[in-house]
Amino acid sequence: MMPLRLLLVRNLREGARNPVLAYALPIIIPLAVLVLVAKTLYRVTELPGFPTTNYAEWMAPAIIMLTAMTGVGYAATSLVIDIQSGFLDRLRLLDAKPTTLLLSRALFDVVRVLPAGAVLLVVGIALGTDLNEGVLGVLLLFVLLTVWAAAYGGLYFVVALATRNAQAPLALAPLFLPLQFLSTQFVPESLLPGWVQALAAWNPFTYMIDAARAMTTGPLTAGPVVEAFAVALGLLIVTHAAARRAFVKAVSGK
Amino acid sequence: MLGKRYEAQAAAVDALADVSFTVEAGEVFGFLGRNGAGKSTTVRILTTLLAPTSGTARVGGHDVMEEPSAVRQMIGAALQEAALDELMTGREHLVLAGRLVGLTKPAAGERADELLTAFGLSGAADRVAATYSGGMRRRLDVSMAMVRRPPVLFLDEPTTGLDPQGRRALWQHIADLRSEGTAVFLTTQYLAEADELADRVAIIHDGRIAAIGTPQELKDRVDVTTVRLEVGAASRATAAAVTGDRSGVPAMLARLAAAGVEIERLAIMPPTLEDVFVKLTGSEIEVSAGLGEGGSLSAVRRGLGRS
Repeated sequence: MMPLRLLLVRNLREGARNPVLAYALPIIIPLAVLVLVAKTLYRVTELPGFPTTNYAEWMAPAIIMLTAMTGVGYAATSLVIDIQSGFLDRLRLLDAKPTTLLLSRALFDVVRVLPAGAVLLVVGIALGTDLNEGVLGVLLLFVLLTVWAAAYGGLYFVVALATRNAQAPLALAPLFLPLQFLSTQFVPESLLPGWVQALAAWNPFTYMIDAARAMTTGPLTAGPVVEAFAVALGLLIVTHAAARRAFVKAVSGK
Repeated sequence: MLGKRYEAQAAAVDALADVSFTVEAGEVFGFLGRNGAGKSTTVRILTTLLAPTSGTARVGGHDVMEEPSAVRQMIGAALQEAALDELMTGREHLVLAGRLVGLTKPAAGERADELLTAFGLSGAADRVAATYSGGMRRRLDVSMAMVRRPPVLFLDEPTTGLDPQGRRALWQHIADLRSEGTAVFLTTQYLAEADELADRVAIIHDGRIAAIGTPQELKDRVDVTTVRLEVGAASRATAAAVTGDRSGVPAMLARLAAAGVEIERLAIMPPTLEDVFVKLTGSEIEVSAGLGEGGSLSAVRRGLGRS
């Protein structure tokens, strides 16, 4: 545990030295999407069958989950730099387990997302989102956000470690765009074209959004919550198993 | 003495074919070779970072493959490229290293201050590594290798990029460590450095040890005499190597005289490690002297011949 704590402190210190890149950047895109969409497209709520009259309230829970997807990636780039600079070798010489470095970077990915989620929650409330499920709902929301961020961040680690290219994770950044449109973020499932409904059912982000809505505006039922955690944890296991394998391979010099 | 001795017998397909040697406690072992000869590969195997394809190596009595953790606890290493985090300060590097090797927070801080002072980095201790010059980076990296006061120290080209003062200070540091009983494995491109520091030297060429012994033993083994002379009105210094012992010199001078070359100064020099290195590897690392008047020098070289 000690080496992990030391390395996490190292990451937090680096983040504090560069707060704009580390903490402000993940906020910008979700904030822009939420405010712009709520202020320009609000009349979609007049469509028959739209479940709320406040479009910001419809969007805010989805956008909070979106912070996970705009916030991760930085850590994967940093990890490749640690390998290339020889810093990883230095840690190995000091007899620290290499996977501790991977874990410390992955944890920092999540740490970066939480303030962004909090800011978006506050902005969402300011735009009229009701927290009908109270503290329990918000707590669950942030636990899910943590797992989702770690799971989605795993993708970046896989790409970064497989290519050993610090810039490669940047190519993954636009992935959140199709995932947004092929989900229930903008309109309820009933208003999506049939083929999008089919894709949305396979889109993990859809499950995050549906659960986030259940946890904030409600109603909080077991179904979407259990499904979302199952999807996020499943993805977490898959991406991090792959990331770990790629990392061990990179460390052994293969 | 336990833990201050290591032996190696490693062979990695492309890089190393046949390397075996033993280094004793309190010894500085110079490992010389051209770029790509296998120096860094050897260091990476001995420091447990790289697995050898065949062969075994023991450091401080522990097998590098079987007990990597035990080996790591006995060694310090500064690899060829300074392994720093650009966003961490010098002090943070040393404190992190100290904590990772098990020092308490205050002890790690004290050790960091000692090393920062010893390596002349106190003034830059709280600046991030990104702002360091090449020499400062190198010194910080070497100081990180020393955090745990290792009985066995690996330094892979530690003085590359250091200014003359920095180089001399590091030499002094290495000499001090040796007198405290540390075994130092030193690779270098600077043959004068090996001559000055190393108790024994190995020359690696094409993945094989081409020669091993004290610098004097190696010099005694080569029959190369260097004649340095200044000729003609241009009076440019020039060096010529004579293969064979000094007995060839009078004949060479007679030929130069017959060719009408006027000799202004003449020095006959004993073999250096560089002569040993050139002879064994067929190449020079350092260019030691400028060439004189083209025509007359080639005459000199031909005249000296491989007679």
